[in-house]
Amino acid sequence: MTAMRDLPDENLFVMGHTACPGCGVAISIRNALRILGKNTVVYVPASCGVVFSATYPHAAMKVPFLHTAFENTGACISGLKAAYEKKGKNVNVVGFAGDGGTYDIGLQSVSGAAERNEDVIYICLDNEAYMNTGIQRSGSTPFGAWTTTTPVGKLTRGKREFKKDLPEIMAAHDIPYLATLSVAHPADFIRKVEKAKTISGFRFLHMLTPCVPGWKIDQAKSIEILKLAVDTGMWTLYEFEYGERKVTYRPGKMRFVKDYLMMQGRFRHMSDEDIKRMQGWVCRKWGQHYGEKGSPEVCPVELPAEHHAITEDHRGMHGP
Amino acid sequence: MYEVRFHGRGGQGAVMAAQALAEAAVIEDKYAIAFPFFGAERRGAPVLAFTRIHDQKIYSRTQVYTPDCVVVLDDTLLDTVDITHGIKENGIAVINSTKKPEEIELGRKIRTAAVEATSIALELLKAPITNTAILGAFSRATGIVGIDSVEKAIMSRFGEKLGEVAGRKNAGAARMAYDRTETGMSSGGKEHAIRKQWLPEYRELPVGGVLGARTTDAGLIGPGSFIENKTGEWATFRPVRDRNRCTMCLACWFDCPEGCIIRIDNGKDLRTDYGYCKGCGICANECPVDAITMMRL
Ligand SMILES: Cc1ncc(C[n+]2csc(CCOP(=O)(O)OP(=O)(O)O)c2C)c(N)n1
Ligand code: SF4
Ligand code: SF4
Ligand code: SF4
Ligand SMILES: [Mg+2]
Repeated sequence: MTAMRDLPDENLFVMGHTACPGCGVAISIRNALRILGKNTVVYVPASCGVVFSATYPHAAMKVPFLHTAFENTGACISGLKAAYEKKGKNVNVVGFAGDGGTYDIGLQSVSGAAERNEDVIYICLDNEAYMNTGIQRSGSTPFGAWTTTTPVGKLTRGKREFKKDLPEIMAAHDIPYLATLSVAHPADFIRKVEKAKTISGFRFLHMLTPCVPGWKIDQAKSIEILKLAVDTGMWTLYEFEYGERKVTYRPGKMRFVKDYLMMQGRFRHMSDEDIKRMQGWVCRKWGQHYGEKGSPEVCPVELPAEHHAITEDHRGMHGP
Repeated sequence: MYEVRFHGRGGQGAVMAAQALAEAAVIEDKYAIAFPFFGAERRGAPVLAFTRIHDQKIYSRTQVYTPDCVVVLDDTLLDTVDITHGIKENGIAVINSTKKPEEIELGRKIRTAAVEATSIALELLKAPITNTAILGAFSRATGIVGIDSVEKAIMSRFGEKLGEVAGRKNAGAARMAYDRTETGMSSGGKEHAIRKQWLPEYRELPVGGVLGARTTDAGLIGPGSFIENKTGEWATFRPVRDRNRCTMCLACWFDCPEGCIIRIDNGKDLRTDYGYCKGCGICANECPVDAITMMRL
């Protein structure tokens, strides 16, 4: 594995791109490309990532870059790879898609490509909502989060459903490699991108990427929040390699999810009861990932498993 | 009909300013509309918003092309955008600037009002959000709406969104700007370099055509050409690194979203390219030895 100081200097994602100051998606794309190197071809569907890296006639990436529609990343990178193979060229074909473009509208396409075990790298840049169009909820948006389509008011207090477990869905495709990443954990990040580069077949890299206006956070805190996501159990760094599951980074001490929530405007309205529900959900995830219960201080009692059926909140929203 | 064009950067609240101005006019029993220019703009990128005020119903829904007044929330825009474009004879520019009107270069001599809205915002609101202060300057410079109506409109619009206290503070920012606005004539020394029209238009490209990296008379195009876009203009703060403290751990180098922290001297030292630094402050926040301080520009 390459140490941080031995990474190349060349910026394949040049300065002058138009992401918001402090954008977590931009940090992730920049470092992923740095590791993938020049022999890479990129596809980006409709998302912030395409708007800030390519607005005609300008482009930020110094590698071939293609953009078509929103829902077809899996299909496009499959086709690109086939075309390069036909030409006898061996290149890394990479798709950088948002959570909307992966969890929701692009799910059929990514599932197809994974099932066919296409020889491509699919990177999901998960900022937990449709940010490019002004913050609408996606299947990835966490419970309680405010978005423009999960408003906070008398009838409802942010999103009432929990985040979909996409890595598990992808793992069920039995692909050669899957990993969850955070740019705030550079050694783990570098190792996983490098590993993905060397393996052939379908590789799925899932990066949690803070969004300044969408999460309503201080623009200087994107990395700090990402560290806290891992320390609270809101994000787990792990990988699946040919069906073998392995946690790759274990936080020293489990922190209260409330610390994570209160750093972000999108969660600040949450009631004590909702925070408790969220803590219960996180404790359950922690148990699944780390194979043991979270620290007794944070997860004291056996909380009932959160069920996803119709809840009181849904009744309030949709009528009896 | 009185037409206003707002120039700001994404996130500075140009749209809210345009709406609050319209509301102030409505408070004075006039007709008004406000709307943004629709574009996929991130925070920091140049944006436009418009307000029309009239004593009769307004039917025009087009962008404002020949404004009576242009309001500029951020004077770094003056280097890249010809803000006087299409302005009516006798039109006026209201600019957030630390300079006096006579020192502001607009490429032509026009009536100009200047106010230090950023300082006012930092003082009263503790954030460089200038969209309320600038409305006080607008009121003072044009007299089109009274400052009392501006205050009321801000309280209602911002109060509703951000709470009563914030609403009052923002109204206070407008009042302070009203008191501190200076009017005069802009400097008209050098002609504004009008950006050449980029050719060919995207419609003229062949379907499936490939855009290679090239230099055209309109500048760079294709892969890597965003390097032309000097995003350093977006910054309000700038990181300053204390070389003696720095341990060269490279955290800032890895974490910077722009890639504007660059290794020099065979990797022994770092340089920050302020031409692109957006001033996000991540490097200062992440430095393990607190070697980086954010300084107000
Ligand atoms: C079929 C289709 N529906 C809707 C859109 C509008 N649209 C463009 S980007 C976007 C949101 C993308 O969200 P996500 O994939 O999460 O990426 P982000 O912008 O958050 O990075 C939407 C809805 C579109 N381009 N195409
Ligand atoms: S809206 Fe969010 S994801 Fe999009 S550019 Fe801004 S910070 Fe990045
Ligand atoms: S302030 Fe932000 S953009 Fe500027 S050098 Fe630091 S991390 Fe990079
Ligand atoms: S993070 Fe701080 S110590 Fe590390 S290289 Fe940057 S300035 Fe130096
Ligand atoms: Mg998204």
